[in-house]
Amino acid sequence: MGDMSELQQREDALQGMGTSLLRKEDARFIRGQGSYIDDIKLPGMLFGALVRSPYAHARIKGIAKAKALACPGVVAVLTADDLKPVKLHWMPTLGGDVQAVLADQKVCFQLQEVAMVLASDRYAAADGAALVEVDYEELPAIVDPKQSMVPDAPVIREDIAEKKEVGHGPRTHPNHIFTWEAGDKAAADAAFAGAAVTVREEILNPRVHPCPLETCGCVASFSKATGNLTVYLTSQAPHLVRTVLAMLSGIPESKIRVVGGDIGGGFGNKVPVYPGYVVAIVASIVTGVPVKWIESRIDNISTTGFARDYHGIGELAADADGRIKGLRFTALADHGAFNSHVSATKFPAGLFSICTGSYAIPNAYCRVDAVYTNKAPGGVAYRCSLRVTEAVYLIERMIDVLAQKLGIDKAEIRRRNFVQKEQFPYTTSLGWTLDSGDYVPALEKVLKAVDYEGLRREQAEKRAKGELMGIGLSTFTEIVGAGPTKACDILGIGLFDSCEIRVHPTGGVIARLGTMSQGQGHATTYAQIIATELGLPASDIVVEEGDTDKAPYGAGTWGSRSTPVSGAATAKAARKIKDKARQIAAHLLEVGEGDLEWEVDRFTVKGNPGQAKTMKELCMAAHTGNLPEGMEQGLNAVAYYDPPNLTYPFGAYVCVVDVDRFTGEVKVRRFYALDDCGTRINPMIIEGQIHGGLTEAFAVALGQQIPFDENGNHLGNSLMDYFLPTAVETPKWETDHTVTPSPHHPLGAKGVAESPHVGGIPCISNAVIDAFAHLGVTHMDMPHSAWRVWQQCHALGIDRH
Amino acid sequence: MKVELEKSFPLPAPAEAAWALLQDVEAVAGCMPGARITERVDATHYKGTVTVKLGPASMAFRGEVEVKEVDAAARALHLAGRGMDSTGTSGATMDLHARVEAIDAATCRLVGRSEVSVSGKAATFGGRLMQGVAEQVLQQFVANFVQRLPAVAVGAAEASAAAQEPPPQRELNGLALVWAMLRDWLHQLFGRRRT
Repeated sequence: MGDMSELQQREDALQGMGTSLLRKEDARFIRGQGSYIDDIKLPGMLFGALVRSPYAHARIKGIAKAKALACPGVVAVLTADDLKPVKLHWMPTLGGDVQAVLADQKVCFQLQEVAMVLASDRYAAADGAALVEVDYEELPAIVDPKQSMVPDAPVIREDIAEKKEVGHGPRTHPNHIFTWEAGDKAAADAAFAGAAVTVREEILNPRVHPCPLETCGCVASFSKATGNLTVYLTSQAPHLVRTVLAMLSGIPESKIRVVGGDIGGGFGNKVPVYPGYVVAIVASIVTGVPVKWIESRIDNISTTGFARDYHGIGELAADADGRIKGLRFTALADHGAFNSHVSATKFPAGLFSICTGSYAIPNAYCRVDAVYTNKAPGGVAYRCSLRVTEAVYLIERMIDVLAQKLGIDKAEIRRRNFVQKEQFPYTTSLGWTLDSGDYVPALEKVLKAVDYEGLRREQAEKRAKGELMGIGLSTFTEIVGAGPTKACDILGIGLFDSCEIRVHPTGGVIARLGTMSQGQGHATTYAQIIATELGLPASDIVVEEGDTDKAPYGAGTWGSRSTPVSGAATAKAARKIKDKARQIAAHLLEVGEGDLEWEVDRFTVKGNPGQAKTMKELCMAAHTGNLPEGMEQGLNAVAYYDPPNLTYPFGAYVCVVDVDRFTGEVKVRRFYALDDCGTRINPMIIEGQIHGGLTEAFAVALGQQIPFDENGNHLGNSLMDYFLPTAVETPKWETDHTVTPSPHHPLGAKGVAESPHVGGIPCISNAVIDAFAHLGVTHMDMPHSAWRVWQQCHALGIDRH
Repeated sequence: MKVELEKSFPLPAPAEAAWALLQDVEAVAGCMPGARITERVDATHYKGTVTVKLGPASMAFRGEVEVKEVDAAARALHLAGRGMDSTGTSGATMDLHARVEAIDAATCRLVGRSEVSVSGKAATFGGRLMQGVAEQVLQQFVANFVQRLPAVAVGAAEASAAAQEPPPQRELNGLALVWAMLRDWLHQLFGRRRT
């Protein structure tokens, strides 16, 4: 063994796992040298602009193109009738439904895509789009999902009115999509029948939008000479998109190249395949020249990937001490006009059944009914795995409701119900096996950090003076890293992921993965995994993603799956290389492999540390003829990782709010977030992700909402109305952590970036509602904007001097 | 986004004169700020445009007006209109019931009940202003209507000459509207405080 300071120096030089290495990608981002979709400019490129419906529900009686075609610069106007010959006026969705690429006879939501105008530049395309005359006959619209299934409701989807199912079991009404359930209803009902106390609350997760800074778009380029289609596109899952495009177009998948480039934020919004992409691709195939389509902000908020719109009912049954005996959660899910929900095939309601949370609940049942409305389609998981935010919101709210009913402290009721450390791996009554957890120390650490008892005393004093102060808790368990292929697939493709590593003679490394960074710092995190595994410096390791011609197949980045799945694939690929390097080292040192031990960046001979081969030396050696008998040259490996289970990061959060009872303004005074994501690879990146997730939680809890009027008109689809918090509004975040490694992940790591969003929303809600708890309030729906909170103050009569 | 308005305005003219003017769809449209009839399809169907300016944005609605019912005995009229702005991003419909009630020989009252609904961008951006805008539009309409009344009342010859004149082409000025709404709102505010 070398001396410790020298070892430490060698270790530091690697900048591997556990170090807060600055993000490699930031050098280009802070210089403004990122390459986003709209930066792609190809020779002869046409620009497409979409004509969209002003009505939420209308029949199309005619489309007149003449004026648009006469507009200078306009090349063509495409409608559903033009896509029909190539059978691309409809497309299959990831939710098992079909969606109109361009409206076919009917529009079913406001701003639905009706036609695309192709022109020589963006301005001519916009001018042309304004001149397409569409004759509509307005139809009554359904906006409230509770009205979708009434007997004489207008039929939204005439195209599938007769279909008995759309991918997920029998339908009972033309506007019904599916009913999904999990758990043992009879057992849950019995638990409720015999319970000392039960609580019930209607809890809405309103329709919101992830609203990434970069809107969606693509540049499609089809070469008639080679038959190759290249698509630059804002996608969190480029490989899946390539497969979908092959299925849709009939072009061999080997001739399709999808390139992700830099992505300016995704948060779920960039998982689906949108009509705009498809029309641009068809347009390029037809014209043989590249076609660009870029969404406007209003189009992005109005028509692509919304989230939530879950109208839930939560019920808990407990004994007199607050120990939960039964759970019944149901939700009415508004999926909009087409079921283009992004969900694994077997999970039409996503991972909603994680709704037992961090608690040992012996009997549980949940059910989701999904319906069509005249609203935009495409429900996505906004910084969470699908439906996890809704599930966690329900359980974290309901446990507070139960505590209030029983007069038990909100921290104490959580302690009484936690799954205990020795119970892991713990299989919930809804069937998930939580891999690892240690909830009690996490909660106690946070309570101590914020002086919880002191806060409660202060709250009591303030209440005596008529002031409103709320303390919110959230002790959530997340489920991330989809997923085991035996359970999880999309279009039949398992949700494994991959990594290919090539080591060059001088020790430089390039790694390519099936995931797709949208700002998560993959180029840094993956490099650090390889640095530690291979003993080569992270600075010399290049990570590439998103170009399907270069990277091995993978399902992309969403649902915090990159570290749990691709991070594991990376470790596995690196270990294959290390195994080969060990054989070469044994050969060169003329010892048995068993006589070698690994020391930071080299193999040394046991008992003779002076005899060693560094990894750098082995990289060169692998490219010579001096190799073990029969061994091929090179140090390359590819690994595909099929996770045996998902990972279950958890956290304990406390939020303290002060509420102005005269104006309804909520001020977040303190927010303390402890996250446990198992092994921590880059603490700085983790902290950055947690800040981002908490800020989006703050946005959802206090302001985000997509409202509609009774005719299906959007009433808040621009940044004039839609709340996107900036540094001005965002509170200070205090972060902390514990480390409970995942037992099945090669590095012990779990996903993390979604935890703060999933756990943060109920924490803030719980704080706001806690401010009113002494006045008998058990629930208030989000967003807790000043206007809505003031209405609560007003109803209670506490807004007057 | 739907607004229902019910208003009654006293007019300084005999009921018969007001009723005569009310039946002249082209003249009535001319009284509507920013509105113009561009084509008479038949006795009960017209095509026209309405231009609305809100700050730098200008929206030109084109659409159809149908005279659904004329009840001479009751001096009542039922008009329906629907239109879409020229960029195809907003739609609007209007349903108007108007009647003239005599007060005395020289004065009468115009009673109107209308339902206006808009969709698309006009609803998204204009929705929260609609009630106020609609009331202002109605007030401007009545003011223009009153201006035109003497022409009808004075005599048939002059009336027909007036009718042939191009209708006053005024854009509905958004900023002026906002100012007027603000003024009304302040009136309400101080009015309430006094009570």
